[in-house]
Amino acid sequence: MPPTHTAQSEGPSGYREAVELEFAEATKRYPGADSPAVDGLSLTVPAGEICVFVGPSGCGKTTAMRMVNRMIDISSGDILVGGRSVKDRDVDELRREIGYVIQQIGLFPHRTIADNIATVPRLLGWDRPKINARVEELLDLIGLPQDMSKRYPAQLSGGQRQRVGVARALAADPPLMLMDEPFGAIDPINRERLQNEFLRLQAEIRKTIVFVTHDIDEAIKMGDRIAILQVGGKLAQYATPSEILLHPANEFVEDFVGADRALKRLALLRVSDIELGPSNGGPSIRDTALVRDALSDLLQHGALHGNVVDSGGRTVGGISMEALARLAKA
Amino acid sequence: MSATFAALGEFGDAISFIFSERENQRGSPVGGSHNLALLWEHLKLSAAAMGLAMAVALPLGLILGHTGRFSFLTISTSNVGRAVPSVALIALFVAFFPRSPEFLNVTLALALLAIPPILTNAYVGVRQTDRDAVDAARGMGLSGAQVIRQVELPLALPLIFGGIKTSTVNVIATATIAPLVGVVTLGDPLVAFSVYGREGQIGASIIVAVLAIAAEIGLSAVQRAVTPEGIKLERGPEGRARSRFGLTKRRIQTAP
Amino acid sequence: MILAQLQIRGEDDAGDSCVADNGFCPSWIADNWERYQDPFLEHLALTLISVAIGFVIAFGLALVAHRRRWLIPPITQITGILYTLPSVALFFLLLPLTGRGKTTAVIALVAYTLLIIFRNVITGLEGVPAEARDAGRGMGLTPRQLLWRVELPLALPAIMAGLRIAVTTTVGLTALVFLAGAGGLGEEIFNDMQFRSNVVVAGGLCVLLAVVLDLLVLAAQKLITPWTRKVAT
Ligand SMILES: Nc1ncnc2c1ncn2[C@@H]1O[C@H](COP(=O)(O)OP(=O)(O)OP(=O)(O)O)[C@@H](O)[C@H]1O
Ligand SMILES: [Mg+2]
Repeated sequence: MPPTHTAQSEGPSGYREAVELEFAEATKRYPGADSPAVDGLSLTVPAGEICVFVGPSGCGKTTAMRMVNRMIDISSGDILVGGRSVKDRDVDELRREIGYVIQQIGLFPHRTIADNIATVPRLLGWDRPKINARVEELLDLIGLPQDMSKRYPAQLSGGQRQRVGVARALAADPPLMLMDEPFGAIDPINRERLQNEFLRLQAEIRKTIVFVTHDIDEAIKMGDRIAILQVGGKLAQYATPSEILLHPANEFVEDFVGADRALKRLALLRVSDIELGPSNGGPSIRDTALVRDALSDLLQHGALHGNVVDSGGRTVGGISMEALARLAKA
Repeated sequence: MSATFAALGEFGDAISFIFSERENQRGSPVGGSHNLALLWEHLKLSAAAMGLAMAVALPLGLILGHTGRFSFLTISTSNVGRAVPSVALIALFVAFFPRSPEFLNVTLALALLAIPPILTNAYVGVRQTDRDAVDAARGMGLSGAQVIRQVELPLALPLIFGGIKTSTVNVIATATIAPLVGVVTLGDPLVAFSVYGREGQIGASIIVAVLAIAAEIGLSAVQRAVTPEGIKLERGPEGRARSRFGLTKRRIQTAP
Repeated sequence: MILAQLQIRGEDDAGDSCVADNGFCPSWIADNWERYQDPFLEHLALTLISVAIGFVIAFGLALVAHRRRWLIPPITQITGILYTLPSVALFFLLLPLTGRGKTTAVIALVAYTLLIIFRNVITGLEGVPAEARDAGRGMGLTPRQLLWRVELPLALPAIMAGLRIAVTTTVGLTALVFLAGAGGLGEEIFNDMQFRSNVVVAGGLCVLLAVVLDLLVLAAQKLITPWTRKVAT
């Protein structure tokens, strides 16, 4: 039976269908500034994909993102959500349909976790049982125990609070999410965990997401597509991570992705994703490992060959330095 | 030794003035239950002034805080307000509106004195609410009025009640000099030595002092009661440690 | 009127129609300017003496409480009660002990300033960044050196802010000390509360005094805390 996508559908099996997001020559000029903060940005984010805005500080990532839910007015050009110009929409109504997560999280300190999550459903006038059910469901989704719903933000760790921020943004099942450096304030270990959790979540909910970061590694990891912005709000390149790593559009992008882009490219693949040769012995490498980690393993052992094994420890093939070098160059 | 006893003795007289009636030099009854009329007038005057001040200052402070406009002006009013002597303000009203009733004049003067702390605290209270929470609220589609009512007002309540408390105590204290212009409050025995005598002066001072301290304690309790639970937790030792953590986090964020 | 007031509109002013009409009379003010000189100086002296004594006591209490943290709540409580006690009531509560006069006035005014200054010194000391304290200790400063060379300088803005509040408030309160028989500008206001020129001049002098003293403290603060000055970028 095909899943039914209605505006009110909920539950893991029936999320509201994601929408396409299109920037059409969107430009922002702050009053008094000589040059625009975002300059003629044009790109399309297909429904259900994560588009990462990345670039150096002050390049206009936040500005570009906040024009979508009109927290910032568009100076010229347009932004279309699901084919409709955001300018034609009632601003509060528009915002209630767009999930919004910021680095500082901005949980309401005087409201419990449950009440924080329920903010938009309440604005939309959902009835109590439906709200309660939704809160329960979201707590499960973000992996927080139910008994935390009665706590206040001050009683949560930074990572937990960030997850509640995500849950709050997801509450009314918005077809589009805006996330401004959502994991920026979290320590590296927890950030990695939250990133993985979030990717798992996204595989399930399939929202259209604009994700802002200034960390290229996070961009490569999280993005289906990456928009690299240059200071002055100009789009330097908009492409998939591997495309950007393989063919940086210009020197700026090349610099920005770093000298180790060959290694970064290897980090996009798992051993099982690549063509394996016959095994020639060497250290054992799990087939689920990232190719970059496999390379690291080989270097560590000073070996030219690795023996790829599956979860049962059975050899499924071999990997060689030579093959890796070819892969990195491709 | 005997000086101390004398002192105690005068306080003893004063306490007896509070509780028991007597005749003054002119033969009219004072003290005891007659203090109730003074107390009533004192409370009436204070309540009128506070009511007026709150009606003006609270909405103004909330709206100015919400929009973030006129910050300098709002903060300055409280600095200037402190410098204006109460007796001068009351005298100004009496001198410039000699025909309006004294009660009204004093009420207006006291209300003017009470406005700055309430206004400033409401303004600062709203401004001090976590701007990120307000940003998130707007981003989720709360309207301006909803942001004020659901986020800014509850978070500002402790400070707002702090302002109300400061003003109330101040108004109760200042209402004591109202008899100088003919509004017969608990200050009457203080300024009319010839009518009430020394035990009247001291006795009434005790009542005024108790009243002010009771207002302070009572409103502090209200202030605690209206402080949202989540805010108390933020302030607790655990919360303080968290906010220190918050500082370090912010530093990571701004690192180039 | 309960107390007979001393009319300061003199016999020789009778012909002045402005004074007779209770207007705002620049000529009367010009003629009677010296009348306010002594009360003004009295007002100034009472304010400065009270704030100075209050500062010494509160600052000392804060330093002691900074070492023995458990003292902070009780001291805050006690100074808080003194702060809440209406000064006017305190003037009369002190009658049996110190009688009427300047001593009583100063005691009441000092009582009022204690909390303001104590709280600000403590807040300032608490606001000293832990890194600065650590660095100082790491360089081998004794607790005493740490206090005077690191903590107090960094707490100065908060301390001076408290001093500014104390000064302006005390100028306002000093306008009431005439009730304790201690003179000041309040007495001039009281002498003829219906005469507009008088009320405006005496009241205006109070406000002026408060503003000038406030600015002086502010200037002193800028002078002794050069690091808080904004650098043009
Ligand atoms: N409200 C504003 N008024 C004027 N200029 C602004 C405003 N907000 C941002 N800018 C300017 O616009 C440019 C882009 O800012 P924006 O916040 O979008 O950068 P960003 O890419 O998000 O940077 P970061 O990584 O530091 O968050 C910057 O030069 C900034 O100074
Ligand atoms: Mg940004």
